[in-house]
Amino acid sequence: MLLMLSEEQKAHLGCLTLAGDAAVGELGRLAVELLRRGAASRACEAAARKLNIGVDTIQHGVEGLSYLLTESSKLMISEIDFQDSIHVLGFSDELNKLLLQLYLENRKEIRSILSELAPKLPSYHSLEWRLDVQLASRSLRQQIKPAVTIKLHLNQNEDQTAQVLQTDPSTLLHLIQQLEQALGEMKTNHCRRVARNMK
Amino acid sequence: QRFRFCGDLDCPDWVLAEISTLAKISSVKLKLICAQVLRDLLGEAIEYEKILKLTSDAKLESGDVKATIAVLSFILSSAAKHNVDSESLSSELQQLGLPKEHASGLCRSYEEKQSSLQDRLKACSLRLSRLGSVGWRVDYTLSSSELQEVNEPLVHLNFNVWDGEQGKTVAIPMALSADKFRVLLAELKQAQALMNTLL
Repeated sequence: MLLMLSEEQKAHLGCLTLAGDAAVGELGRLAVELLRRGAASRACEAAARKLNIGVDTIQHGVEGLSYLLTESSKLMISEIDFQDSIHVLGFSDELNKLLLQLYLENRKEIRSILSELAPKLPSYHSLEWRLDVQLASRSLRQQIKPAVTIKLHLNQNEDQTAQVLQTDPSTLLHLIQQLEQALGEMKTNHCRRVARNMK
Repeated sequence: QRFRFCGDLDCPDWVLAEISTLAKISSVKLKLICAQVLRDLLGEAIEYEKILKLTSDAKLESGDVKATIAVLSFILSSAAKHNVDSESLSSELQQLGLPKEHASGLCRSYEEKQSSLQDRLKACSLRLSRLGSVGWRVDYTLSSSELQEVNEPLVHLNFNVWDGEQGKTVAIPMALSADKFRVLLAELKQAQALMNTLL
C-alpha cells in the first residue's frame, strides 16, 4: 500500500533537502517529540537558528515529517512500500535510508500513542455493595425482604462516575449466571478458532 | 485449597508468590512493618521511610517493598473482613509457607487491632445517605391573605443530609401543620420501637 502525499506536504518535506542529511536526524527527533508531547515551538526556533533556515520552513518540515511517520505507522506499511512512497519526493538515497530508519525505529512507539486516541466507553473501576434486609415498613410489619445495593464506580477518560443500583437476590443470581455464561463463551470452539486466527 | 481468610476461596496467586518475599524479612522487623500497615488501614498516615529502613536489611528492591505492603494489607484486611481469629490465621499462613515466627508475630499484631480494624471497615461500608443534623422552629400563624384570623401553630423542620451519590451535604427544609407533625412523630416513634427490639 502506497502513501499518497499532497503537493503541499511534498513542498513541506522539500525543506529536508535544504537542511542537509545531518539535520534530518534533528528534525526527525523534533517530529517524534511533536507526536509525544505536542508543539514545541522553542525547539523549532533553536533548530532553525542552528541550521540557518527560516522558522516557518522548519515548522512545516517537522509537521510534514510527523505526518509521514503517523500515516506510515498507522497503516503499518512495509519497508518496500515506504521506500516507494518517499521515492516520489526525489530525495537522495542517503536521505531515503535515514527516513526509513527513522520510521522503523519509532514505529512501535507511534502506534502505541495512536492506540490511545481511540474513543473509549466507560470502563469498570470498582464495585461497592451492601446486603440489607427490610424488616418492616410503615404499611407492613413482620416482613423479610433482602436487597443488595450496589455502587458501580466507572472511569471514562479520567472522569469518575458512580451508578447506584439495587436488586433482590434472585435477580442478582440471574445476573451472575448470565455473566458466567458470557465468560464461558470464550471457551467455545468458535471463539477459540477466532482467537487462534487473530494471533 | 480453601482458606478462611480469603473468604473460603482459593488464595490469590500473587499473595502466594509474595509469601516468600515476606520470609526474607526477619520476624521482628515484619511485626514492626505490620504495625505501620495497620496504621494505614486504620486511616492514619503511613510512614514509608520507616518501612524502607526496616526492609533495607533484607535488601529488597522498591517493587518488593511495595509488594510486601500490598500483601500485608490484603492479609490483614481480608482476615478482619471474614472475622478470622488469630490462631486460624496463623495456621493458614503457615500452610502457605510463612515460617512460624513470622506468622505468630503477624497474628499478634492482628489480634491487638482486630476490633478497631473491623470498626473502621464497618464505617467505610457503602452508605447512600446519612443524617447530619435536624433543626426545628415552631411558629404561630396569626393571619394570611386568604383568612384574617388563622391562629395556628406551624413547625419548620430542616434535615441536613449527606448525599452519598453527590458526595455533599444537602439541606431538606419542610413546614408541617400541627396534625401532620403529630402523625410524623407517632410513625417515627413506632419505627424507633422496632429498631430497639433489634438492638
